[in-house]
Amino acid sequence: MEEVRIGVYVCNCGTNIAKVVDCDAICASLSKMPNVAVARTYKYMCSTPGQEMIVEDIRKNNLNRVVVAACSPRMHERTFRKALQTAGINPYFFEMANIREQCSWVHENEETATAKAEALTRAAILRVAHHEPLENLYADMCPSTLVLGGGIAGLSAALELAESGHPVFLVEKTDRLGGNLARVDLTAPHLYSARDLLTDRIARVRANPYVQLMLESELKSLSGFVGNFTAIVGAAKKNGDPHKEHVLEVGSVVVCTGYKEFDAGRVTHFGYGKLPNVVTSFEFEKMLREGNIRTKEGRIPEYFAIVHCVGSRSRDFHGYCSRVCCMTALKYAHEIKSAIPNSYVSDLYIDMHAFGKGHEDFYRGSSEAKTLFLMYGKNEHPVIKRAQPGEESEMLIEVNEQLSGETIEIPADMVILMVGMEARSESGDVARLVNISQDKDGWYIESHPKLDPVATTTEGIFIAGTCAAPKDIPDTVAQARAAAARILGRIAKQKIEIDAVFAEVDEDLCSGCRVCNSLCPYSAVEFDEEKKRSRVNSALCKACGACVAACPSCAIKARHFTDRQIFAQIEGVLR
Amino acid sequence: MSFEPKIVGFLCNWCSYAGADLAGTSRIQYPANVRVIRVMCSARIDPTFVLKALRDGADGVLICGCHPGDCHYTEGNYKALRRYELLKQTLCAFGIEEARVRLEWVSASEGQVFAEVVTDMTEKIRALGPSRFRVEQENASQPVHQEVTK
Repeated sequence: MEEVRIGVYVCNCGTNIAKVVDCDAICASLSKMPNVAVARTYKYMCSTPGQEMIVEDIRKNNLNRVVVAACSPRMHERTFRKALQTAGINPYFFEMANIREQCSWVHENEETATAKAEALTRAAILRVAHHEPLENLYADMCPSTLVLGGGIAGLSAALELAESGHPVFLVEKTDRLGGNLARVDLTAPHLYSARDLLTDRIARVRANPYVQLMLESELKSLSGFVGNFTAIVGAAKKNGDPHKEHVLEVGSVVVCTGYKEFDAGRVTHFGYGKLPNVVTSFEFEKMLREGNIRTKEGRIPEYFAIVHCVGSRSRDFHGYCSRVCCMTALKYAHEIKSAIPNSYVSDLYIDMHAFGKGHEDFYRGSSEAKTLFLMYGKNEHPVIKRAQPGEESEMLIEVNEQLSGETIEIPADMVILMVGMEARSESGDVARLVNISQDKDGWYIESHPKLDPVATTTEGIFIAGTCAAPKDIPDTVAQARAAAARILGRIAKQKIEIDAVFAEVDEDLCSGCRVCNSLCPYSAVEFDEEKKRSRVNSALCKACGACVAACPSCAIKARHFTDRQIFAQIEGVLR
Repeated sequence: MSFEPKIVGFLCNWCSYAGADLAGTSRIQYPANVRVIRVMCSARIDPTFVLKALRDGADGVLICGCHPGDCHYTEGNYKALRRYELLKQTLCAFGIEEARVRLEWVSASEGQVFAEVVTDMTEKIRALGPSRFRVEQENASQPVHQEVTK
């Protein structure tokens, strides 16, 4: 067997690692390990000169293994594997030690952090010596896409794909397209009509021969893997024929299932449900769309109060900001003033979040239009009560105003509660169907929050819009079209590369006990009746390793996660 | 010098390893006693990994996987749980204290949870002292005359 020659590279990551970890000391110490041919530190290993250094060392020093101690492998494993490929050696002869996310960023003590970083790098060096050359697999990419949800996100993704000439199955649970946006009148800050934004897209979707629209339908099951999914779509619960199910072959899935509004009834102190003219933003939106702003008693209200952050940014309900309510509240102030010019609008906010393009101008415009802004404290709340007979308004709101430091009482005929967004109650079911994760609030988790915001941890499943987190229309549309672009890129390549990591059975060791057969969640382990041996179908295997750990004869090998490799790592971290 | 526990962590790639990375990006501080080994799924964790870590001188082993119902491979974490329950009985027979081998669910968004688990486990093992295997090993590797001269 050829001699193992390892190159070890310890990244400073600017000062991100070097500030806490003594990279030079680690290098000096590990260079003495057997099989280590080169050990260096560098400012940024992931930079072009950093990668070129590795490529050059591989060529000059005949390296056949590389260890990079730097950030998380989830960040740059692929980058460095490519560098190995460039230098002409198998990309799987590489191992990363995570000394940033799991060391320098979480430990302050230089001595212990350096010791830990050295142990992790040593483990990687011992592990990489046992690495084997692996070849990636290629599978066909089915050009059809399943889009879940017919809101603005789903419509945007479907159009982008269909107008490029690729089939789309657009599945919508209700009997109409448009989602939550269809419930909105005008949009902030440009005051475009939501109806105009939607009708054009809905018409294009309906006319496009590449879109198969499936209303009142929902996903029942999804199997397969990236490029080769089989989806079963049937009638959404309650309404529709339960026997009518469609089996669809798709290459990708875009989840655009949106949000639901926070239930204002959960907040007791605003009197929602008790005081007739305390309404939610969506109820008020309906009045705006109908052009009929009236109290329950049929009067035209004179005093309006808008309360921000109902259910959002609160200890008791949702901790997060719903992002769109501040601008929507300002939009209400505009719409109220133009519909009822003699009215008075008070805006009760915690902080005004005007972060988007044109939002600050919109805020200034609202201030100039004589909206009365009153700031209330976080974790406090304005108190709404019925006014005494004879008062000029129907309700009175007492607010502990933060900027003046005074308790102020304002009149109100109509109170609008700006309810935030929350994950839909069925979002967990969808997550399980397509195998993606949710965070503590129920939002879907992206593959990387900054660098890979539309992909998920399951290859071929994308997320767009408010199912991933609260966001406004431009962000939603951008995400939906980004997801479509990612899919189009794969369709253009026609083939998709699949990691060479899967399980394989050593027929000589297999006793044919079949313990592994029933363990596999993907039915990838088959039994060869003739040979009386189990066999792994590599196309179906997703490399979890459940069968490997269960095999009593140690006959199943998890490629790239073999027992020997992991044992070497255990020895390395403990030495 | 005070006793510093050595803990080996086996983390699944999809939830717990991502959660540990998130603790890093969020700069949540925790003790440096845990050394993480990444596996694709907690179901890959062969009980022999745990036994080997203990034999090689680990004072504790932490196994982390996705929350029930949230496994990337549908149900791998349930398999890990079953193996863990069986393994605990074996370890008990060996005289290994229960707190030394721990299974926790950590999702990709729970950086804080990961940091808390590591902090708590480090403290508990620090209180327990070194594992008996480590003590036996260290005694075995010490020259006999040192004992005598004391």
